[in-house]
Amino acid sequence: MGLTIAVGIKWVPNQQAVRFDERTGTLIREGVTSIVNPHDLDAVELALRIRDRYGGKVVALSMSPPSAVKGLEHVIGMGVDEGVLISDRAFAGADTLATSYVISSALRRLGGFDLALFGQETIDSSTAHIPAQVAGWLGLPYLYYATEVELDGSGRKVIVKRMLEDRAEWYELDMPAVLGVAMKSQLPRPVKLSNKLRLREENPIRTWSNAELKLDQRCVGLRGSPTIVAKSTWTPEVPRRRQILEGTPEEAARKLVEALFREGVLR
Amino acid sequence: MSLAQKRKSKRVDCATVCPEWGCRQPGEHEGIWVVGEVEGGAISEPSLQMLTPARMVANKLGTFVEGVLLGGDEGALRAAASEMIKRGADRATVIAGRELSEYAPPAFAGAIAALAAERRPDVILLSATMRGREIAPYVASLLRAGITADCTQFDVDEDSGDLFMIRPPFAAIMLAYIKTPTRRPQIATARPNVFPVPPRDEARDGPVEVRPASSYVRAPPGMRLLRSEALRRDEVPLEKAEYVVAGGRGVGTKEGFAALEELARTLGGVVAGSRRAVDLGLVPHERQVGQTGKSVRPKLYIAVGISGAAQHVMGIREAGTVVAINIDRDAPIFRSADYGIVADWRDVIPALIREISARRTSPGKGT
Ligand SMILES: Cc1cc2nc3c(=O)[nH]c(=O)nc-3n(C[C@H](O)[C@H](O)[C@H](O)COP(=O)(O)OP(=O)(O)OC[C@H]3O[C@@H](n4cnc5c(N)ncnc54)[C@H](O)[C@@H]3O)c2cc1C
Repeated sequence: MGLTIAVGIKWVPNQQAVRFDERTGTLIREGVTSIVNPHDLDAVELALRIRDRYGGKVVALSMSPPSAVKGLEHVIGMGVDEGVLISDRAFAGADTLATSYVISSALRRLGGFDLALFGQETIDSSTAHIPAQVAGWLGLPYLYYATEVELDGSGRKVIVKRMLEDRAEWYELDMPAVLGVAMKSQLPRPVKLSNKLRLREENPIRTWSNAELKLDQRCVGLRGSPTIVAKSTWTPEVPRRRQILEGTPEEAARKLVEALFREGVLR
Repeated sequence: MSLAQKRKSKRVDCATVCPEWGCRQPGEHEGIWVVGEVEGGAISEPSLQMLTPARMVANKLGTFVEGVLLGGDEGALRAAASEMIKRGADRATVIAGRELSEYAPPAFAGAIAALAAERRPDVILLSATMRGREIAPYVASLLRAGITADCTQFDVDEDSGDLFMIRPPFAAIMLAYIKTPTRRPQIATARPNVFPVPPRDEARDGPVEVRPASSYVRAPPGMRLLRSEALRRDEVPLEKAEYVVAGGRGVGTKEGFAALEELARTLGGVVAGSRRAVDLGLVPHERQVGQTGKSVRPKLYIAVGISGAAQHVMGIREAGTVVAINIDRDAPIFRSADYGIVADWRDVIPALIREISARRTSPGKGT
């Protein structure tokens, strides 16, 4: 018995290493490694804590190219019980609607879960779409910016604390439910060698391609994505005066303060 | 053909569309919706800001702007609807009733989707406030429609009448023109402060239709609010601040940010930071400026030890005067600044505090 907690993780380029080509405006991919989206580790940590307290298992899912198996290995190292790599050429090029459609199909295939946790957003696109879209496809209650989760007495509902900018709120949700876990709300635990050993002994990672999910080609990947990039342009520059105030720091500061008072910016 | 004709004659081949999602003809959709958020009984400023692009797009497409408001308090919603009309909407629909008196995302998003399924708007715009970000994607998946987050501009494709939802993509420092040619409604969000609040026109008037929440919230949302606790806030929210002193990795330490705090206090403003500063734990995420943080529109923005990455300066496009303080003369931030000081912030910040304080105690001094 116990809970089945699904947690979604995304394999993203390591932002610390990302550089742009200033001439062409494109990303320099050379030498850029990938990592588990750091905000997803908050979701993994919260899932593990819920499991440790109430029992059950945590299953991590990642819709990514095959290299993301490293990401699943990482979270299994943290203590996640099972991993599912959702990977198929047909899923490539998906926008958030087509991605969330595949993820929700995979969640259905899991055959029942109590909670599905996601990082609030990814560092590479920051749309924060996926948790709500998954909830929408599955018709489930959901909440964003979750920081704490407890089971109520009946064991069929969760009490979720979430933080908005000006207030804290507590909601009660029927399970199954979907949560976006607030960024930096948890302290993700380190990888343990004993967990990593399970990878060799138990083979806890499955791969599902579209042979398993059996989704119509028109609903997935590029073809299933309603949004397309039609063209791109340079960001128009905001005209600024670009006036460097020369002199010692004291002189420059004086010139600046004078100008700001003169222009009515300061009073 | 006029743009309106092009738009109305737009058809898709339903054989190409995901059968499970249903096929709706784009040409049968009309109107630009702005979903209005009501906070403490009044329409929120970010919602009013969305009327700026809505009006522009509606004028180009030859269609109307409609405010859509949801909640429990019909009186407040009607007042909010009339405010939206005075600021550029042509009409408004209010969904009011007990079912929406307490905020539950599936109920609010579900009601918007149900109304959209009935009325078939061409476009739905929402502000990407914390709640807007929570609701918009659920609406999109219920309607099996595309959604584009955090747009910084909107325009219209003259060839098709499709909406261009313009935003910086991850993989470039350029702007991507995104559209959803085969599905409607076209759903998009923009972060607060990216657009200005349109001026109020007392003379504007338009119909406000009130519909019962019970017709649009068909199932209980499966969740309820237990309690809510206001957080003590002693600072002005970043979006509202007139003076912003932002620090980056170049400021580097807590002590450095304490100096920025002092300057902010002298100015009567607040401290913010770059994403690197947030990553270093020097500023909370809600005070991050930029593409994945906030857009600000203060009178004065002082960037200290910030290099001026495209993703950062995106957030200060609407700032009045921009000042950059950086030790590196070649730092890109100077291209996005009105005034630049090339020096170590440790020498500049105390001098600025002294100069401003001196000015204020003896206003006759100087030029
Ligand atoms: C998808 C994506 C989204 C992003 N979103 C955002 C966003 O929303 N906001 C954001 O800010 N960034 C964002 N970034 C990150 C962005 O690309 C930059 O990495 C970041 O803005 C750099 O922060 P910084 O200027 O503080 O640090 P750095 O680039 O390291 O710059 C530090 C600066 O401090 C100067 N300096 C050092 N010492 C001193 C001194 N003693 N006195 C004065 N100056 C000094 C240096 O000359 C340098 O210019 C995003 C990146 C990606 C890939």
